Amino acid sequence: MARMKFICDAERCIECNGCVTACKNEHEVPWGVNRRRVVTINDGVPGERSMSVACMHCSDAPCMAVCPVDCFYRTDEGVVLHDKDLCIGCGYCFYACPFGAPQFPQAGAFGLRGKMDKCTFCAGGPEANSSEEEFRKYGRNRLAEGKLPLCAEVCSTKALLGGDADVLADIYRQRVLTRGKGAEIWGWSTAYGKPDAPAAPAPSAGGKS
Amino acid sequence: MTLTRKLPAAERGGRSAARLARPAQTATSAPRTMDRRAFLKRSGMTAGAGAFASALPFSMVGRAEASTASAAGAKVEVKRTVCTHCSVGCAIDAEVVNGVWVGQEPVFDSPINMGAHCAKGASIREHGHGEHRLRYPMKLVDGKWVRMSWDDALNEVSARLLKLREESGPDSVYWIGSSKHNNEQAYLLRKFVSMWGTNNCDHQARICHSTTVAGVANTWGYGAMTNSYNDMQNSKAIFFMGSNAAEAHPVSLLHILHAKENGAKIIVADPRFTRTAAKADHFVRIRSGSDIAILYGVLRHIFENGWEDKKYIEDRVYGMDKIRDEAMKWTADKVEEVSGVPDDQVKLIAETMAKNKPSTVVWCMGQTQHTTGNAIVRMMCNLQLALGNVGVAGGGTNIFRGHDNVQGATDVGPNPDSLPGYYGIATGSWKHWANVWGVDYEWLKGRYASQALMEKSGITVSRWIDGVTEKNELIDQDPNLRAVVFWGHAPNSQTRGKDMLEAMKALDTLVVIDPYPSATAAMAASARKDGVYLLPAATQFETEGSCTASNRSIQWREKVIEPLWESKPDHTIMYLFAQKFGFAEQLTKNVKVTNNEPSVEDILREINRGTWTIGYTGQSPERLKIHMRNMQVFDPKTLKAKGGIDKETGYVLDGEYFGLPWPCYGTPEMKHPGSPNLYDTSKHVMDGGGNFRANFGVEKDGASLLAADGSASKGADLQFGYPEFDHVLLKKLGWWEELSEDEKKKAEGKNWKTDPSGGIIRVAMKNHGCHPFGNAKARAVVWNFPDPVPVHREPIFSPRADLVAKYPTHEDKKAFWRLPTLYKSVQDQFANVGKDYPLIMTSGRLVEYEGGGDETRSNPWLAELQQNMFVEINPKAANDRGIRDKDMVWVKSPSGAQIKVQAMVTERVGPDTVFLPFHFAGHWMGKDLIDSYPEGAAPVVRGEAVNTATTYGYDSVTMMQETKTTVCQIMKA
Amino acid sequence: MKPLIATACVIALAAGLAGCGEKSQVVVYKQGQYQGKADGKPWDNEAFSGDKGNWETAIKARNQSQNEYRRING
Ligand code: SF4
Repeated sequence: MARMKFICDAERCIECNGCVTACKNEHEVPWGVNRRRVVTINDGVPGERSMSVACMHCSDAPCMAVCPVDCFYRTDEGVVLHDKDLCIGCGYCFYACPFGAPQFPQAGAFGLRGKMDKCTFCAGGPEANSSEEEFRKYGRNRLAEGKLPLCAEVCSTKALLGGDADVLADIYRQRVLTRGKGAEIWGWSTAYGKPDAPAAPAPSAGGKS
Repeated sequence: MTLTRKLPAAERGGRSAARLARPAQTATSAPRTMDRRAFLKRSGMTAGAGAFASALPFSMVGRAEASTASAAGAKVEVKRTVCTHCSVGCAIDAEVVNGVWVGQEPVFDSPINMGAHCAKGASIREHGHGEHRLRYPMKLVDGKWVRMSWDDALNEVSARLLKLREESGPDSVYWIGSSKHNNEQAYLLRKFVSMWGTNNCDHQARICHSTTVAGVANTWGYGAMTNSYNDMQNSKAIFFMGSNAAEAHPVSLLHILHAKENGAKIIVADPRFTRTAAKADHFVRIRSGSDIAILYGVLRHIFENGWEDKKYIEDRVYGMDKIRDEAMKWTADKVEEVSGVPDDQVKLIAETMAKNKPSTVVWCMGQTQHTTGNAIVRMMCNLQLALGNVGVAGGGTNIFRGHDNVQGATDVGPNPDSLPGYYGIATGSWKHWANVWGVDYEWLKGRYASQALMEKSGITVSRWIDGVTEKNELIDQDPNLRAVVFWGHAPNSQTRGKDMLEAMKALDTLVVIDPYPSATAAMAASARKDGVYLLPAATQFETEGSCTASNRSIQWREKVIEPLWESKPDHTIMYLFAQKFGFAEQLTKNVKVTNNEPSVEDILREINRGTWTIGYTGQSPERLKIHMRNMQVFDPKTLKAKGGIDKETGYVLDGEYFGLPWPCYGTPEMKHPGSPNLYDTSKHVMDGGGNFRANFGVEKDGASLLAADGSASKGADLQFGYPEFDHVLLKKLGWWEELSEDEKKKAEGKNWKTDPSGGIIRVAMKNHGCHPFGNAKARAVVWNFPDPVPVHREPIFSPRADLVAKYPTHEDKKAFWRLPTLYKSVQDQFANVGKDYPLIMTSGRLVEYEGGGDETRSNPWLAELQQNMFVEINPKAANDRGIRDKDMVWVKSPSGAQIKVQAMVTERVGPDTVFLPFHFAGHWMGKDLIDSYPEGAAPVVRGEAVNTATTYGYDSVTMMQETKTTVCQIMKA
Repeated sequence: MKPLIATACVIALAAGLAGCGEKSQVVVYKQGQYQGKADGKPWDNEAFSGDKGNWETAIKARNQSQNEYRRING
């Protein structure tokens, strides 16, 4: 059973922002809305590390828990999606999300929040797969085309991995074994809980940066 | 205004339709206004601020004008192209529906990028929108941009240029070509300018790697990256000096980090803690411009410890003893005094490089853009020669080029001192090319003001401003420059912006041919009322052709979409002008022309027929296309095809290297596989092997310059040094009879570079395994350069008067590339400049933007990520000046220029250095020039150009501009 | 979180009633259960003709393109 996840390998991320523009490109996300972004710690000094961050499609998603209108659902593949027709733009999910993933485009002239927008794992939303309507509201549905999120597929150093958890674990494990370090994956335990962590040793305690 | 790319509603459909349906309003309205949101702060997640977007409406919902047509009708075509934003050469599959570029997919099969992209490549599809493009020809009338027709534009511009040619001669017009042209266009432009009758042409290579090309070619033969990004997977140590690959060549890090994962040690030496440094094992902070001192220090440790490769030096290097003598003088304290680097760090570099072989070096603009650039890069070569690292997989000098086709444009494009293939501009070279072009040499000569000027190197792009404004009696050609044609070049990438504005004012005519109006248009319109023309050119996605990546692999781009708006491909524009100038027929003797568009494939075939010197002869359009559609058979470590038969043609790929990296010698029929790593004696020449080039004679001061006995490429019949091949040598060796009768006729009296049959090359390589360019030693001492043994010299503007006294610059030169060029007199005048301008000012790259930045700053997906021009300043320097993070500051230059930018207080730079990115333009000394752009065509993000504030200073061989070490003062605005 | 959700429900009901969207309203609200439209499966299309296993195999194969070790050593 495929379980979709993201991993960002901080040993490899070079903050090139390829994932960010790939996302903009693929889904035509407008200026000011960032479904994905790159976060850097220790900027400009030894120890500088970057991570690409978006919705992690958590196993036990806090956004789902707090949504007052229950517009979230998790697909069989573990992708957390939401119905924009239902969303009221309240912003609770944004406060609940440990990754700051939910985005709120402006709607109307008075700066009212529009409906929430976030990473869909390139899986579209609750409209007919690959339909006009789905693209308009949620962006392209790559999973239905047998493809994986474009951000991960084009990552310049293959730092950002996205796809089936078992495959990712294998890819990542090989790297960690080869280089002998960098086992912790930022955000992993927060999103998916400890037992799943692929290379096991000491997942970072979560939390942002 | 009509939206020319808009499709009839009936043709839209499916998911793609949503993308096509861009409301006309979006495309034609004025540029998006955005509030200048604070820096997207890099040092942390500004999620709170970023999550609630307040700038633009969420147009995704509103964007798709719902189409009712079904998806069934729309056929998705896939066009394979190559990113145009850097020399890595990442392949892209573009999805096109009904002529509209609707999607892009990674090309996992590419051995170069394996699907990977940086921000620029991942947003390349925005080129299909082109909202900020120059849409139609325009001219400046009374200070305002006015639209005109192509016919009128061609007539007016050509009439003006012809008038200047009449009045002042062909040398009065300056042609700035482009490293963003494909090979065919770059080549055609050199031919075009020759037929116009001048050598006054140049392109970005002058200000990017000209010092590398000259320094490295003079050391061992060819001035190019010796190995490849891929080959770095074989390296055990990688030393970056003056390269920030993580931002400038992001996908190269795919290979480099893979190497690191497998144990390679990475060292970065730089004035700035770059993102590349963040990935390194060791970072060494240096004073900008002190590379030679450090490298001598490194060599001293190598020689003191006996870490040099003695056999290699004995067999393959000339003059290393002189380098050794010089290195011994650079004691620990001297090195530290000049560079600020303590001896243990210098030793660490030496030891890491010596004990983890094969080890490689990487350099970029951090080394090349200095008044001593040619000497700095030779020191890197000398380091690699001492260690025996050249001609070795995992070793070499990995010189990362900049633009996507700067390597190709250097090889075959508009250079002021050379014809395509580095043939030079002596009579023999002209005759060779006249022959290839099928034109009469005498006619060609008649196009020039005189034979003397035909054989004299032209003015360089770094100095065109002085060609306009210098006193006439001091310049080495009859007229001053009166017109300049910017054909794909940004003005803000040349130094001395303040002087440039004066030169722009003084011109009779200024022409910009570019997909974007570029900062040239804005600068000119801010200073002039008329005499400026803008002609819209197509991008490389709107035409086809080949481009040469940094590793010398040549890739073929398919045309993705038709030219947007009214733009035309560059080669079409060349043809149209040639018609007006009266040499269209000569320009395209061997080239089929359809609807004014010369056939790109025919042009490449002509390149194939003439460019023997550097092996651009084997890469026929057919072979290149076969490589592009069979990428999966090439190994990403060696670039070599493991088997593989092209389905369409039955062509056998086995053993060829991806993109037939030049040199790919001989005719396409000879099937040379290309050369992955240059000078590699462990391979047969017909398997891409080689040795150093015999280009500098056979002996010097009694010492042989040819390789020692026993040192030759694998399997060569001559296992000793030998000179280059010509008809005489072939006869002496008794190999002449191996030529066919036809080849004999053509090869008689010729050498391997001028034999139009390719027979000499075939016999030498295929029959005897010998290298046509001979087998010689590399030169550690380049006796024809001003400093044969590299010497540290302080930059012209140095904050250290004590060091200026000890390590002065060169003497002034009178006529150097047609212009007087000052060194000592300026340095003396500014000897104490450090008092008022104590900070070293250096510049560099941001990952989101390319070059002058007009193109990338016009792409909203990129522009959103870097919205402000800034200066990086150390907390100490900032605090001393009362500057806080995000304050606006003035950066003041001793040239009198000052630019207003945002301060980014960071320890990335040391307290004595400030760093500014070089991609911004559109602000001029505090003023936004938005009103000086044609309406709607200003880039999304504008800012001050760092080069408005850079100073005088040029390399003593190539006229490279000094951008990396100058001085400034900073104060709160 | 509980009080938050409770409050939220009130807001949601209010908002739902006040809204005048063209979309059908959620009439029956059950806390903690997805209330939106049903979504299709990624394999319910021509390419995978409803075969989940087929789709999973394709995705896993494609996933390996993110692994340069596979390409380099293979
Ligand atoms: S800019 Fe360079 S590294 Fe980035 S995608 Fe283009 S070719 Fe690749």
